[in-house]
Amino acid sequence: MAELIRLDNISKSYGDNEVLDELTLTVEENQFVTLLGPSGCGKTTTLRIIGGFEKPDQGRVYFDGKDITDLPPNMRPLNTVFQNYALFPHMTVGENIAFGLKVSGKSDQYIKDKVKYALKLVNLKGFENRKITQLSGGQQQRIAMARAIVNEPKVLLLDEPLGALDLKLRQEMQYELVRLKKELGITFIYVTHDQEEALTMSDKVVVMNDGYIQQEGTPEQIYNEPENAFVADFIGDSNIIPGRMVEDRLVEIKGVKFPCIDGTENGFRPGQRVDVVIRPEDIEIRPYGEGLFNGTITSKLFIGVHYEMLVKQEGGKFEWLLQNYDEHQVGSEIGMYVRPENIQIMHKPQSDDEKRMNLEI
Amino acid sequence: MKKTISTLYIALVMLFLYLPIAALIVLSFNESKSMANFSGFSLQWYEELFRSRMLMQAVGNTFSIAIISSVAATVIGTLAVLGLSNMKKKSQDIILAANNIPMLNADIVTGLSLMLCFIMLRLPLGYGTILFAHITFSIPYVVLSVRPRLNRNTDRLFEAALDLGASRGYAFRKIVLPELKPGILSGFLLAFTMSVDDFIITYFNKGEGINTISTIIYSQVKVGIRPSLFALSTIIFVVAFAALIVVNRNSDRNEVAFNL
Amino acid sequence: MASRKWASPFIIWIIAGTVIPILSIFYYGFTTRDGGFTFDNVTAVFTHDHMQALGLSLGLAFASTIVCLIIAFPMAMILRDSKFGKEGFMIFVFILPMWMNFLLRTMAWQVLLERAGVINSILAIFGLPPQQLMNTPGAIILGMVYDFLPFMILPIYNTVCKIDSNLIEAAYDLGASKMTVYARVIIPLTVPGIVSGITMVFIPALTTFVISNMLGGGKINLIGNIIEQEFTVNSNWYLGSGLSLVMMIFIIASMLILNKFDKTGGQALI
Repeated sequence: MAELIRLDNISKSYGDNEVLDELTLTVEENQFVTLLGPSGCGKTTTLRIIGGFEKPDQGRVYFDGKDITDLPPNMRPLNTVFQNYALFPHMTVGENIAFGLKVSGKSDQYIKDKVKYALKLVNLKGFENRKITQLSGGQQQRIAMARAIVNEPKVLLLDEPLGALDLKLRQEMQYELVRLKKELGITFIYVTHDQEEALTMSDKVVVMNDGYIQQEGTPEQIYNEPENAFVADFIGDSNIIPGRMVEDRLVEIKGVKFPCIDGTENGFRPGQRVDVVIRPEDIEIRPYGEGLFNGTITSKLFIGVHYEMLVKQEGGKFEWLLQNYDEHQVGSEIGMYVRPENIQIMHKPQSDDEKRMNLEI
Repeated sequence: MKKTISTLYIALVMLFLYLPIAALIVLSFNESKSMANFSGFSLQWYEELFRSRMLMQAVGNTFSIAIISSVAATVIGTLAVLGLSNMKKKSQDIILAANNIPMLNADIVTGLSLMLCFIMLRLPLGYGTILFAHITFSIPYVVLSVRPRLNRNTDRLFEAALDLGASRGYAFRKIVLPELKPGILSGFLLAFTMSVDDFIITYFNKGEGINTISTIIYSQVKVGIRPSLFALSTIIFVVAFAALIVVNRNSDRNEVAFNL
Repeated sequence: MASRKWASPFIIWIIAGTVIPILSIFYYGFTTRDGGFTFDNVTAVFTHDHMQALGLSLGLAFASTIVCLIIAFPMAMILRDSKFGKEGFMIFVFILPMWMNFLLRTMAWQVLLERAGVINSILAIFGLPPQQLMNTPGAIILGMVYDFLPFMILPIYNTVCKIDSNLIEAAYDLGASKMTVYARVIIPLTVPGIVSGITMVFIPALTTFVISNMLGGGKINLIGNIIEQEFTVNSNWYLGSGLSLVMMIFIIASMLILNKFDKTGGQALI
């Protein structure tokens, strides 16, 4: 796939507050890329720099090989779906959607057809003459989409577009967005703080924190092989525990030795201190004494599909987070086992920036 | 029971507010000059009002000053709000504090301080100085009603228009101005009513030989009220009544009226 | 969106129309006729006549503010509960007199209170002797209340309307009596409106010279009348400016005190 957008060494500060620090990112044609991170991580600023609403202090933005850093937003071949939609309140739905086409001087007939087509695409046929204030949140969201895509941009920028919707609508709209992207065949750059949204829809997820890219990769890579404790913690519930390599393919955590699949060949020397991620669904429950270690269940919560449990490790204070489809009673003593391939070993953070990630390590 | 008391209370306050006005209206149709007895229906005081060049000139001055000063204040104030939005928070705060002075200060001090300056600069007091003074005290009201309309939401709508390919000028005209319009309109109306209603500031800055409705009432009160003033009151009341109905019809849930 | 330059006419106007004039009041207030520095114009307030006028101004302004508050608060509460208020009709009724010229409104009371005026002629019908109504402090308080009452009702009504009914219901639900609900919930939440109402009544009442002139027949001197006369009759700008400064101190002081009660910064009006 061809490279479409490249951010090269971008830095941006507001006063003393450095929002982006030498960020470099490539977006390929027809990709669904999600910028994921907590608020203040720099994801929205990155999007605004691509859209042309902010000028980077340093670095260049390339589109299709051309430098567009100094191009104003109205000259850029991309459109944005804004957070809270930014629909023009004094115009009808039809006038909102037609705005971009009118500005570019299209004929009335063309505009009329195009508005009709766009409304059909977002499943709001016949809404042309409605007032913006008469629409529900979900409908406003669709109109914002229609208003952007009617201009046939090569790239659609979406800034937390589902943030204001309730859970059920949000899930529905996730399918809609994926369908729209398929139908339009264009590139989506999507900003969110919701990890589930990111994992569901994206081809590529870019996890950001403190103005740095922490990890980029497919949703599977991000979930299964987090590169550091921040990513592991941000993506899903996890047990993130400090440990020590005993030898190749053997790591010691909380006094228990776990067989694993990492070793010297991917940079983990014996004796080295590491962080270990074990997903709660990867801890298997065995009868007492038959696992790698034992513990007592201290609490249990039914959360829909499965049970979530806290298990206090025998002879220690540490509590493990477990998820299991079977119900086990609070107070019962169990054995626990983790397959070697489910143990994700990560390097300890080293730079100052990574230390600031506020994790209990 | 509770409802009766409430209704009675409203009625009493209404009576208090409208009894004096009603008295003026009734007396404006009185045949005699008496302020106590209604001796018969007559329109002679209306005739006297329309024949009096002095009164008619005062009415003309009042409204021409109100129109010119409120238009000027609206333009200056609206531009100010837009310009201020690009300044640092600290400079904004300082400028807005100065902007609040004429609103919070006593009218007598505002009027006298302007008069002092005009006399120091040897500017003859007259129509021009009244106009300058009215623009000065009207601008803060315009700034105060337009400023809340310009917020992060307006910024986002402006950006959205740019994003859709509009030039900055087009986005400003088509998106930002319509957003500011209710604020501009209520600022203008406030400035206009403040100007029409003003006496104190006009009084100190008018000089000899020029009068507005307010100053002519004040001078007549000293030498003796003529019933032609009652006729003028009646007309003003009817016009205000009609104007308020129009304004309230045109604004959503009397937004403008609440801002008074 | 806009250039900073757009504010320049405004900034020039503020400097020319507000800042420099206020500074010239300060200049004259601290200067003698031959140009020397002095405090005499300011300390002149302590002379007997000036103190009496200032005291009377404070007293009348205070009294009329209290009367306005007593009339306005129940009015705002009634309007909140009645369907009239929501239709905007009652608000219309309160704004309409404000659109009448303020001197005409004051003149109307003169017509009513005059020795040969409406009230005395009504008294005469019942065979009662005519009363001296004009030129009394009572007449001035009446004029102040009449002129400024809408400025008290509207801000209080605005804040009262913004009180969430759930809060009042929650208070009743928690066992509060009607008294407690007013004292602990409604009145505290109405403070911003009360504060801007008081500001909008007290300051013009304190500084007026018009109402006292029209309803006091020139016999009652408030601090505003004294300042006006220094400028227009005695042509003593120095003394007039000095007394204006004293008046401004009272304005600033009353606003500081009022702002202590209002933590929202006086946003009730807009």
